[in-house]
Amino acid sequence: MKIYLRLVSALIKGVEPSSKEKKYNRIFYYVMSMIAVFGIMLPMAFFVGVILYSMTNALSSFGTQENAIELFLHLIAVFSFIFGMNVIFSVFYFSGDIENLLPLPLKPYQIIGSKFTAALISESVMEFIVIIAAFAGYIIGAGLPFYSWLIAVFGMLTMPVIPLIYCGIICMLVMYFTRFVKNKDTVNKITGICTFLIVIGIVVFVSRSGFDSDALIKAASESDNGLLGVMNCIFPQIPFLVGSMSGAGIPALLAYIGINAAAVVLFMLTAQAVYFKSVVGIGQGGASSRRSFESVIAKMKQRSAWVTYLKKEFRLLLRTPAYFTNCVMINFMCPVFIWLVFLIQERTHFMDSFVYGIHSGNEETVLQFMLGISAVSVLVTAVNCIASSGLTREGKHFAFVKYIPLSYIAQINVKALVSIIISGSGMLLCVAAACIWLNTGIKFIVFSCLLSLLSVSYASYFGIYMDSVNPKLVWDDELNALRGNYNIFFNMALAILLEGVICAGSYLLFRFTEIGAIRIIVLLFTVLMALNAVSYILCNYKATKNIDKLSI
Amino acid sequence: MIQFENVTKTYNKSVRAVDDISFNVKGGEIVGFIGPNGSGKTTTMKMLTGIIKPDSGKITINGFNIRTDPIKAKESIGYIADSPDMFLRLRGNEFLELIGDIYHVPSADRQERVRSLAEKFGLTEALPAPMMSYSHGMRQKMMVIAALLHKPPVWILDEPMIGLDPKSAFELKQLMREHTKEGNAVFFSTHVLEVAEKLCDRVIIIKNGKMLYSGTLEELEKQNKNESLENIFLELTEK
Repeated sequence: MKIYLRLVSALIKGVEPSSKEKKYNRIFYYVMSMIAVFGIMLPMAFFVGVILYSMTNALSSFGTQENAIELFLHLIAVFSFIFGMNVIFSVFYFSGDIENLLPLPLKPYQIIGSKFTAALISESVMEFIVIIAAFAGYIIGAGLPFYSWLIAVFGMLTMPVIPLIYCGIICMLVMYFTRFVKNKDTVNKITGICTFLIVIGIVVFVSRSGFDSDALIKAASESDNGLLGVMNCIFPQIPFLVGSMSGAGIPALLAYIGINAAAVVLFMLTAQAVYFKSVVGIGQGGASSRRSFESVIAKMKQRSAWVTYLKKEFRLLLRTPAYFTNCVMINFMCPVFIWLVFLIQERTHFMDSFVYGIHSGNEETVLQFMLGISAVSVLVTAVNCIASSGLTREGKHFAFVKYIPLSYIAQINVKALVSIIISGSGMLLCVAAACIWLNTGIKFIVFSCLLSLLSVSYASYFGIYMDSVNPKLVWDDELNALRGNYNIFFNMALAILLEGVICAGSYLLFRFTEIGAIRIIVLLFTVLMALNAVSYILCNYKATKNIDKLSI
Repeated sequence: MIQFENVTKTYNKSVRAVDDISFNVKGGEIVGFIGPNGSGKTTTMKMLTGIIKPDSGKITINGFNIRTDPIKAKESIGYIADSPDMFLRLRGNEFLELIGDIYHVPSADRQERVRSLAEKFGLTEALPAPMMSYSHGMRQKMMVIAALLHKPPVWILDEPMIGLDPKSAFELKQLMREHTKEGNAVFFSTHVLEVAEKLCDRVIIIKNGKMLYSGTLEELEKQNKNESLENIFLELTEK
C-alpha cells in the first residue's frame, strides 16, 4: 500500500506544473483561475443542477424521479469512457515514466494501479464538479434526507472508476493482442479513430431510433424503461448508487461498493496477466523506411524556411497520437454534430421555424446564424488547443525556437497558420454543409465562411499569446503537454467569455436598438477584424518578448 | 569570432550562474570549456546561442551582436545542444531538410554535404527512418550533421562527444581540426580532460559561474609544475 501511495503521489506530481511554473506570474494565474471558476465552472455546474432539479420535479408525478439522475449518470459514464480511452492508452503505454518504472521490482498491478489512480484524479476534476451539481439538483428536487449528501460525495469520487476500468481493460487487451505490431503509434491512432467511429455510431443510432423530446420524456417517465435497462447492464453500479440515496439504504450502497470492488479486482487480475507482456519492448514509431538513402538525397531541394517549418508542424501534429486525437481529430467532430442536427431535424422538424427564417431572409434568424458560426468557430479553435499548445508542444527542445535564425514572429505566424488551416477546414466543412442544407445563396456561404475564418484566425493568435505567457515545457510524454495545462483551460475560458460578450452584445443591440441585422453583421465583421489586428499585435510585441524572456 | 564581454546571468534573483565572465575565441582556434557539473557551462553556451538572455554584458558572434542582430549571429553558428532527443517523429532526412531550409542551404550543396557527413558518421542506412528508431548515439550523430550542414564559421558544441562511438568521435575531432584550419572557430564543452588535452588550443575553466583559468594547457601545466591536467583540474575546482 505504501509503494502504491508513493507511486500515485510521484505520478500526480509529474502532471502538475512545476514549482517554477507556479511561482511565475501569480497574478495572471489568479485572475485566469477566477475567470475559469466564475465564468465557466460554476455557471455550468449551476446549469446542470437546475436541469436535474427540473427533471426530477417533473418525473416525481410519475413516481420515476430517479430516472433523470440515472440517465444523466449513464451519459457521464459514456463520456468518461469515450474521452478516457485516449488518456488511459497514453498513460499505460506511451508515457515517459514507463522506462523508469519497468526496471523497478514492482508488480504489474502496482504499476497499473498507481497509474490508473493518478489518471483518475487528474482527469476527473471537471467531472466531479458536474456530478456533484447533478446530485445536488436531484437531492433538492426529490427532497432527500441529509445522508444522501454523504452518499453523493462518495458517488462523485467513485463514479468515474468503472468507465475508466473498461478503458483500461480494453486498452491492455488491444496492446496484448497487437504486441507483434512494430509501430505502436499506429495501434494508438487506430484505437483513437475507432473511438471516434463509435461516437458517430452512437449518434446515428440514437438519432435514427426515434430521438425526439416527447419520446425521451415519455421513456424517462416509464418505470420499465428500455434504454435505462440496457444502460444498467453496461454500468450496473449506477442504479445501486441512486437507490442508496433514494431510500434503498445500506444494502444498495454495499451492492454499489461490491460492484466497484469486483471491477477493480478484475482489472488488477487483467493487469497482472497481460500488462508486462504487452508493454515490454514497446517502441513508438519504430518502423523502418523502405526508401533508400540515394532516393532521399535526390529529393533534397531548397524551399522556403516558412514552408518547411509549416510541414514540420503538420508532421508532428499528425504523427503524434496524443496530438492527432486531441488536436486534429476533434475538429472533425463538428461536422458529425451538424449531421446529427440534420438527422434529428428530418425526424422531428424542431428547426422548422429557423429554416423558414433563413429561407425568408428573416433578419433575426440570419443574425443568430452568423453569431452562432462565430461562437462555434472560436470555441472549436480553443478546444482543439493547436494554437494554445503551439509553444508548449516544443517541450524540452524549446531552445530550438530560440537558436535557429528564424524570427519569433515568423515562427508564431506558422504556428497560427497551422491552427487556422486545421480548425478552419473543420469549420468550413460545417458551415458550407449547413449553408447548402439550408439552401442559402452563394453570397451567404462566402460571408459565413469568411466570418468563420476571421473568428478562427483571431482565436489562433490569441491562443498562441496565451501560451507564450507561461508555456508548459516540462512534460515527459505528449499527452502530458496537453493534460493539466492551465494555459489551454484559461484560453478556453477567455475565448468563451470574449465570444459570449460579442454575441450577447450583438444580439442585445439588435433587440433593443433600431440598428438592423445587416448593419450589426457588418459591425461584427469589423469587430472580428479589429480582434485579428489586436491579437496579431499582441503576438508581435508581447508574445515575442515573452519567448525572449524565457530561460530554458 | 566569439567575444563574450563581462557577461552575467542570475537565476531567480539569487543564483549567479555566470558571474562577470569575459573571453574570446579567435578564428583558427579550438577552445575547450571545462568545469564541474553546475558550474555554468551550459548557461554560457545558451547565452552564446541566444537561447538565454544575459542580465548584462555583450556577446558578439562573427561580428554580429546576438541581442541586436540575432538572425545574422545565429546564421553564423552551428550548435549542438546538450540533448539530442529532438523532433523524434521526423525522419532523419526530414529533419535535415528543415535545418537546410532554415539556414538557406542550396539544394546542390545540401545533397553533397548530407551525403558526405552521413557517410562519415555511418548514418546512410538510417537517414530515411524516423529518428524515434535511432539509438542515443545515432541521434547525437544526427545533431552533429545538422549543426554542420550550413558550414557555419562558429561551432558551439555542448558535450558533443557524449554517445558517439569511437569512430564517430574521431571523425568529429578531425572535422573540428579541419574547420579551424580554414580560419573558423570551435568552442566546445567537455568533461573528458583527455579530449581537451589532445584537441584544444586553449581551455577555459569555470566554477560556480566564475572563470578560474583561460589559456593554453602548456602554460597551465608549467604554472603547476608539470602536474597532470586531471590533478590541476581537481585542485582548481575543489578549492
